[in-house]
Amino acid sequence: MRPAAQSLFAAALIDPERPLPEGITAARGKAADRRFAVYRNTVTVTRIDALAAIFPAIERLVGQEAFRSLARLHLVEEPPASPVLFEYGAGFAALLERTEPLRPYPYLADVARLERAWLDAVHAEDALPLDPTALGAIPQERLNDVIFTAHPATRIVESRFAAVSIFSASRGHRPLDGIRPQEPEDGLVTRPGHTVEVRRLAPGAAPFLKALIRGETLAAAASHTLASHPGFALPAALSVLLEAGVFTACTLLPARME
Amino acid sequence: MRSTPCSPQTETPRFSCAPLPPRAGAGLKPGHVDQILADDRPVGFFEVHAENYMGAGGAPHRALTAIRERFPLSVHGVGLSIGSESGIDPTHLERLARVVERYEPAMVSEHLAWSSHETGYFNDLLPVPYTAETLDRVARHVSQVQERLKRRILIENPSTYVLFENSTMAETDFIREIAARSGCGLLLDINNVFVSATNHSFQPLQYLRRFPLELVEEIHLAGHAEDLDDEGEPLLIDAHDRPVAEAVWKLFEIVISQTGPLPTLIEWNNDVPDWPVLRRELSLADAILDRLGPASLLGSRHAAE
Amino acid sequence: MSNTTLISASALASAVAMALTGATVLASAGSALAATEKCYGVAMAGQNDCAAGPGTTCAGTSKVDYQGNAWKSVEAGTCTTMSLEGGRKGSLEPLERDMPA
Repeated sequence: MRPAAQSLFAAALIDPERPLPEGITAARGKAADRRFAVYRNTVTVTRIDALAAIFPAIERLVGQEAFRSLARLHLVEEPPASPVLFEYGAGFAALLERTEPLRPYPYLADVARLERAWLDAVHAEDALPLDPTALGAIPQERLNDVIFTAHPATRIVESRFAAVSIFSASRGHRPLDGIRPQEPEDGLVTRPGHTVEVRRLAPGAAPFLKALIRGETLAAAASHTLASHPGFALPAALSVLLEAGVFTACTLLPARME
Repeated sequence: MRSTPCSPQTETPRFSCAPLPPRAGAGLKPGHVDQILADDRPVGFFEVHAENYMGAGGAPHRALTAIRERFPLSVHGVGLSIGSESGIDPTHLERLARVVERYEPAMVSEHLAWSSHETGYFNDLLPVPYTAETLDRVARHVSQVQERLKRRILIENPSTYVLFENSTMAETDFIREIAARSGCGLLLDINNVFVSATNHSFQPLQYLRRFPLELVEEIHLAGHAEDLDDEGEPLLIDAHDRPVAEAVWKLFEIVISQTGPLPTLIEWNNDVPDWPVLRRELSLADAILDRLGPASLLGSRHAAE
Repeated sequence: MSNTTLISASALASAVAMALTGATVLASAGSALAATEKCYGVAMAGQNDCAAGPGTTCAGTSKVDYQGNAWKSVEAGTCTTMSLEGGRKGSLEPLERDMPA
């Protein structure tokens, strides 16, 4: 076998316009076209099916036919790099964003980001969420300097559209009536127990949680958020933080040297 | 090299060290786990695709841990691309090693096929030509995997739809030689034999006569779909989407009457039925193992373990 | 970083205290805080806890993948059945066109 034989086989697999790779044959002098097509179909169909399993809400939103066309585009642009298929599809949201026929539906990309985040959370490392008493045990005068450790499942998707409501309705097979797509919604994805949860965050909560995830202190994150979102409700954001299991631990920055 | 998870030196194994019993087992499907755990009737073992458990944590691992605590487990890789011209992906091999360390399975197996290339992962088991050059490569890759996993693995015969003009060896000889060079065991997929035999116009029994049955440590059975080739003649597809075909059960009976009872997996990966339907297929396999195993030519080598 | 603090230590302490009591109250439904929070912070679990994403298959398929890539619009999806205010459908385009230039 020539050294690059699998390259030719691979190229013919994903491009139906190409002729059969040289040296491919069948018994008793039969033709091999329909035979090779079994590999072609399996490669394309199962990889499209994999994307459909990752993005069921998108498939429902755009319809099966359009979804499979989009998935084919994605396969060409960004074929799966690894046999671990539940990690596939990171670039699918970006494809939706720049695909011309989808311009009237600009919320689709953020719904896809939520779906990808949801699956990340399903497979994330196990960790116990922060015990609220650990936060309660910190002396009041030191709360400024609290920093948090993010739970491995935590993901935040900020959207200029009603991505969380649309995601939730589509996954729940509910009609989308009553949803105002242009209402901004930030989504929080967590896995506090064994089940992935998706929450809609109040305005300001997403940048606040993202600042904490980046390692900012509680005081710095709260201050920055209040500066950019004057109506930000800190107690509610802290409640969500605890209830949703956004973090696993909180610690104090070492006391500053005066 | 050992093929079971526990050596005498292992101090406190987390799971039972028992080998796969010579009984029917099932491919584990997430939707079946609750029913399986509530089912009183015994199941010989479960088999999972390694790639589905390469995540860090979460529900898949919780379910598989519960299964592993109660049943022997076989880990079946589908993505190592052992036949690849570009070598074994070291990252993927490490991820497989982590799954094997985590679950201490009774068996680890992979395919005589390739599935990845520089352009990505194809999610299909693609064929290799049977040449001296491929043989060197595949045997080297199997040894590399066994060295990393520190255990023996089984290699499965493929189902194929095309042939290569440059093949110089019979598939059975090729497989026998891989085992001889690498020391691996074999997984005999009888549905694959039937599919390939139909597709390439040979007799399945002739294939089985030339196959090194003495190296077989596990059997796979599955259903296949029927299509047509360019000449309008049957082209079988290894679809795993329906019950095992009558002709494949017959071949299974013939194999078991020669080898004695072997761990036998029912694979059903597409259009997966409810657990009771899959359970019924297992009962059919168990009935054959009970009926024909004890009278086999090679004897009950596995029952003695 | 906390040099630019807009929030006083006591405000922070009271927010944490509220959250800590709130966290326990939220767990039991029907509290006043839960009521005010019902638009937000309500978890929507995935439909299917088993759905770990695509599973691998070592099988082939007899399904034929159509070759055509040509498509122009999203016709069969729920996007197009979403009714918006004013009887519009789920496309945001008409809405944008309505906006004053």
